[in-house]
Amino acid sequence: MDIFANLALGLGTALSPYNLLYCFLGVFLGTIIGVIPGIGVLAAISMLFPITFHLEPTAALIMLAGIWYGTTYGGSTASILLNIPGSPSSAVTCLDGYPMARQGRGGVALLMTTLASFGGASIGIVVLTSFSPMIAKYAIYISSAEYFALMLLGLVAAATITNGSAVKGLAMVVLGLLLATVGMDSQSGAQRFTFGNIELMDGLSIVALAMGLFGVAEIVTSVRRIHPGDVDPKSATWAAMKPTRDDIRRSWVPLFRGAGIGSFFGAMPGTGPSLSAFMAYAVEHRVSRTPERFGKGAIEGVVGPESANNAADQTAFIPTLSLGIPGSPTMALMLGALMIHGINPGPNLISEQPGLFWGLVMSFWIGNLLLLILNIPLIGLWVRLLMVPYRMMYPAILMFICIGAYSVRYSPFDVFTVLGFGMLGYAMRVFSLPPAPLLLGFVLGPLVETHFRRAMIMARGDAMYFLERPFTATVLALTVAVVVWSVWAGLRRRARDKSGLLDQ
Amino acid sequence: MKLPATTALALILSAGLAQASDFPSGNVTIIVPYSPGGSTDLVSRQLAVDLQEIWGVSVIVENRPGAGSMVGTTALSQAAPDGHTLLVNTAAASTAPAIQSLPFDAETDVTPIKLIGQSAYVMVAGSGVESDTMSEFLEEAAASPKFFATAGVGSSSHFAAELFLQQAGVDGDIIHFSGGGDANTNLMGGHADIYVSNTASVIPYVRNEQVKALGVLGPDRDGLLPDLESSGELGIEGININAWLGMFGPGGMDPDLVARIDADVSTAMQSEGFQALLENNFIVGGESSPEEFAAQYIEEMQLWRDLAEQRGIEAD
Repeated sequence: MDIFANLALGLGTALSPYNLLYCFLGVFLGTIIGVIPGIGVLAAISMLFPITFHLEPTAALIMLAGIWYGTTYGGSTASILLNIPGSPSSAVTCLDGYPMARQGRGGVALLMTTLASFGGASIGIVVLTSFSPMIAKYAIYISSAEYFALMLLGLVAAATITNGSAVKGLAMVVLGLLLATVGMDSQSGAQRFTFGNIELMDGLSIVALAMGLFGVAEIVTSVRRIHPGDVDPKSATWAAMKPTRDDIRRSWVPLFRGAGIGSFFGAMPGTGPSLSAFMAYAVEHRVSRTPERFGKGAIEGVVGPESANNAADQTAFIPTLSLGIPGSPTMALMLGALMIHGINPGPNLISEQPGLFWGLVMSFWIGNLLLLILNIPLIGLWVRLLMVPYRMMYPAILMFICIGAYSVRYSPFDVFTVLGFGMLGYAMRVFSLPPAPLLLGFVLGPLVETHFRRAMIMARGDAMYFLERPFTATVLALTVAVVVWSVWAGLRRRARDKSGLLDQ
Repeated sequence: MKLPATTALALILSAGLAQASDFPSGNVTIIVPYSPGGSTDLVSRQLAVDLQEIWGVSVIVENRPGAGSMVGTTALSQAAPDGHTLLVNTAAASTAPAIQSLPFDAETDVTPIKLIGQSAYVMVAGSGVESDTMSEFLEEAAASPKFFATAGVGSSSHFAAELFLQQAGVDGDIIHFSGGGDANTNLMGGHADIYVSNTASVIPYVRNEQVKALGVLGPDRDGLLPDLESSGELGIEGININAWLGMFGPGGMDPDLVARIDADVSTAMQSEGFQALLENNFIVGGESSPEEFAAQYIEEMQLWRDLAEQRGIEAD
């Protein structure tokens, strides 16, 4: 396989004026949304999702991906200047970024963040380019039993690893799986839970569900919480951005370490950019000879996590594009975008749609370059955006959500679905139930079910078939181990909390 | 708003009596009940380009995928029968109603307008099959039952496979995949063995040598694929079906309007672009009249209903 021919093809696709425009739009919108506190990347993608239906699939995906890594860039701006993470993956950036801003070094932090993001993303792209075709080549031999086991592991891992309560996470996955059963049964053609409603024949709309759960619910929760405080516009001047020689000396090793950590965790199911950033911060803290500087404005604590979360953004595409298995809810939405365009993500994607695949990969590079060029001069603009009162912002966002939901199928029913899921999403937040596992369960539900039932047909009804296949058995055992581990960890935490109370 | 009774009546009458003479009076929508990029979508988009030139109004292709083409067909059945909402579907139009309970009557709530093209049902095999021809395959399948992939429950490939299993008297299991591309991919990986479908959805994979063509379903060999054995010449009787692509309108269309659209679509199909599309996909352009197409549609629907009953295929 000629990697250079592929890269050239990709570069040609990504540099066509049409795709370049949408790449720019994606990263630009992504950065804005990342800067605005209270709207995470999931909310952003689900809100802008409908726009992409009217584009060619390649442009659509390039734009969605641009939004995805653009928000990570923008998220760090709010973290550093306001101590409010614009997106969850930049929460760690607050720890040392905000102290830097208070010391009048906000400009340096923003610049180094941008550079670290670019470096991390570039390394992530190299990893993505080298591994995806290899994985895809062997993937057509993976059968339904293996897919079932892998997806089950992904669901369990996503529900238990990344958030506090494993039980709550699993409960939400199950709720997502149940919501996914609405519509036509893929194996018998029977209508399930449609109540004779034509709108439900093909299931609940993923767009409406995501917009309600993330967009509406997030805005409702943020309304009285966010006060754009006293941002210091001076921190964004050119003069304030110049890093010292010492800053650069301290930064380049954490950049590579962060990129390595991010590349690895990005490709794993259930982890992703947020966990990568936390891991990178922990590692930098651990290896530092001066750990006492952390939390007081250490540049390593900004560079490491930022490099990691951007690298993870890129490698998260490996399982999504080469196997059709999304590792995170955001990737699940990307998968949804592909499927809506009639493209089956999976092992054949790279060989059947080389233009799309390589174009997308190369657009990552161009997008990251655009972000670099865009962000340094525009930091001043982002700072001003942070000073817009939130009460002027959210009605506009809500309106766009409604227009977006309606325009997918021109169906008012979908707008009501958004409303319903918005209320559910708010209730879930009140009870601190995580919405991300629900979305993942919803997207993977039909796939998990179909693969399980296909595997059962291939086994001619013998459930032991799953355990007789070494790979499937191993993955299932790993899944059980994850469940056991998270239950045990939960019990231990509870025991520790109890003894802690007694000590006092 | 309250309309005077006479105005309301006049509106109903004018809607009910949509005449061929005042067609088209606005933009025309062609519903494609599948995702963009598939063979039905490609044909419809080419047709839309040619019809736009003839009619002088915008002809818009709208993808309404889901429920094995029945989401789009339901939308069609609810549109006004004035010719401004049309639909292009495959033989799934006649197979899906045999298994699904639908919110409309498949016989009266849609109007068959034009048979766009026909092709043979081709049987292809994946890496799990050793045979290279249908005659060898019959022996192989008798020794060990094979898995038949379909493009989805109730799809034409599902019923074609069931018909083959019944008429050839071989044992086999049906596995449903999510579309023709998925079925072909699983054949390559050896997760299913056989896929029976129209030429457009299998020939690209045969050309790439990713799957192999064993034969065609039908009494005789296909004129465009003369190297492939037919089921009829191997003594398998009672399979006399073709895959097709047709245009439909909502139920109760004025026959004059149907004739008008039929004539215009026939003209559009003569375009160079459209002919090339047919040739590349081994499809023969349809020449039957709207009445003949309607009769074929009703007859096939009955055939599939009977087959569903005999083979115990039902949705629950």
